[in-house]
Amino acid sequence: MIANVRAAMVTWRSAWREASSNRAGFWTQVVIMLANDVVWIVFWGLLFNRVDNIRGWDFDRMVLLFTVFTISGGIVLGLLNNVRRLGELATTGGLDAALALPTSTLLHVVVRRIEPINLGDIVFGIVLFLTLGDPTLAKAGLVVFGVVCSASVWSGFLILVGSFGFFVGRREPGELGFSAMAMFSNYPIDLYAGGLRVLLYGVVPAAFVTSVPAKIVDDFSLTQAALLGGVAVLMMAIGVVAFNAGLRRYTSGAVWTSA
Amino acid sequence: MTATHISNRRVAVTSGRSAVRRVTRQPGVLVFTAVFYLMVTVALSSVWRAAAETSGGALVGYTAAAFTWYVATSESVIISLPQRLIYDIAEDVRSGHILGEMVRPTPTIVGRIATQIGTALPRLGICVVIGFAFCSLVAGLPTSWSAIALAAPAAVLAISTNIAGQHAFAASSFWFRDAGSAWFLYQKIVFVGGGMLIPLEVLPDAVNGWLRLLPFAAMAYTPARLASGHVEPELLLLQAGWLAVFVLLAARAFGAGERHLMRVGA
Repeated sequence: MIANVRAAMVTWRSAWREASSNRAGFWTQVVIMLANDVVWIVFWGLLFNRVDNIRGWDFDRMVLLFTVFTISGGIVLGLLNNVRRLGELATTGGLDAALALPTSTLLHVVVRRIEPINLGDIVFGIVLFLTLGDPTLAKAGLVVFGVVCSASVWSGFLILVGSFGFFVGRREPGELGFSAMAMFSNYPIDLYAGGLRVLLYGVVPAAFVTSVPAKIVDDFSLTQAALLGGVAVLMMAIGVVAFNAGLRRYTSGAVWTSA
Repeated sequence: MTATHISNRRVAVTSGRSAVRRVTRQPGVLVFTAVFYLMVTVALSSVWRAAAETSGGALVGYTAAAFTWYVATSESVIISLPQRLIYDIAEDVRSGHILGEMVRPTPTIVGRIATQIGTALPRLGICVVIGFAFCSLVAGLPTSWSAIALAAPAAVLAISTNIAGQHAFAASSFWFRDAGSAWFLYQKIVFVGGGMLIPLEVLPDAVNGWLRLLPFAAMAYTPARLASGHVEPELLLLQAGWLAVFVLLAARAFGAGERHLMRVGA
């Protein structure tokens, strides 16, 4: 286990060097994502300029939701970028290089690639919390807890839907799963109708990626926090089991890539 | 009509038709577009319906039903287009791929715009069918069929204006090699200033009147406004005007860019 983590750290450092080798390109992409995120805050600002509160969500709470969403999204899609590409790697024989290494295949693959554009999300989330999130030490601690759980649910889910690629031979389930998660977690769960809300707690657990963590940061509840922590562990475990089960069905593409 | 005009028209029609055939032969892509469109429409329309209900049934003149039709239409005209067209064109210029098209006897821009419109139309078609079904189910049938009749050509004009506009923007890549990242800026302007995410009436009064006149409104707001039950045919005229301006701009800019490329090389 410790050896696996140590190997992952080395891989991750090399991915970081690779991503940041073109300094100008790296920072351009970070700034582009910052601009993208600003648009969303402008959107919510304009909306809450017209209505004070929508089903319990006001601008301040949306700031917390967006803080969790952007930092967590930045971690999952920026620092662990390959979780989004597992379906593609599984169906195109892109795991060959990773299989030959004496370390955990999943751990190696997910830390192997860093996407600079999504690192802008992390920067934005932190700045957003510090400027508009009414930060206190306790709140910052809850944000860290919420982000860790959110990133775990999000990456566990992406590993699960990406692993479908091993079984069905297509990457579309992974891509649709990603789109669904990114889309529905962008908005508060309470805005959706009853049936869809059940779906977003159970099938595509978008509620646990943003709404539940934001509510915990805003109005702490031990029960909700325990539930979130439990779902985070469970989702990651399901993802890992699915990946390992799928890996047994993996067929080499006879290509040598760096995953 | 001169022989050149006839030749250009033939190239445009042939390129467009062949793009339509190519897209319709890829049902997987269409299904993906349809599912993605449905997800976006469900999510965003939920926000606006909730906002209307919170405001006592209507917000800035839009009821929950009108918001649903608005969002379904604005998303359909954006999702049917390639998101990174400006980037892709810039890449074709940067890599020299465009040189292969420049040896043809008709202007590059004609084939390119026609191909993109042909690619977008089947996607728009599937989004419209799904959007109509979704809105009828969630918000009820349209309150004004006249408005829907205006929204249909407006949707086609919207994607055409957007494609021509992206080509006009992307032409700068003939001179500036980093112009590819401009797609992101362009996209965000259409999202907010063009009314894709947010009906322009929600914006402060000081700016929404001006934004309605700008070309970005022609790319999302116009068909969405019409589909939401507002019979405002003058918006179509404005759209047609912006389409003509962008086609002309794109043609001029591409012509100048190609001459520049011939002089300095790829």
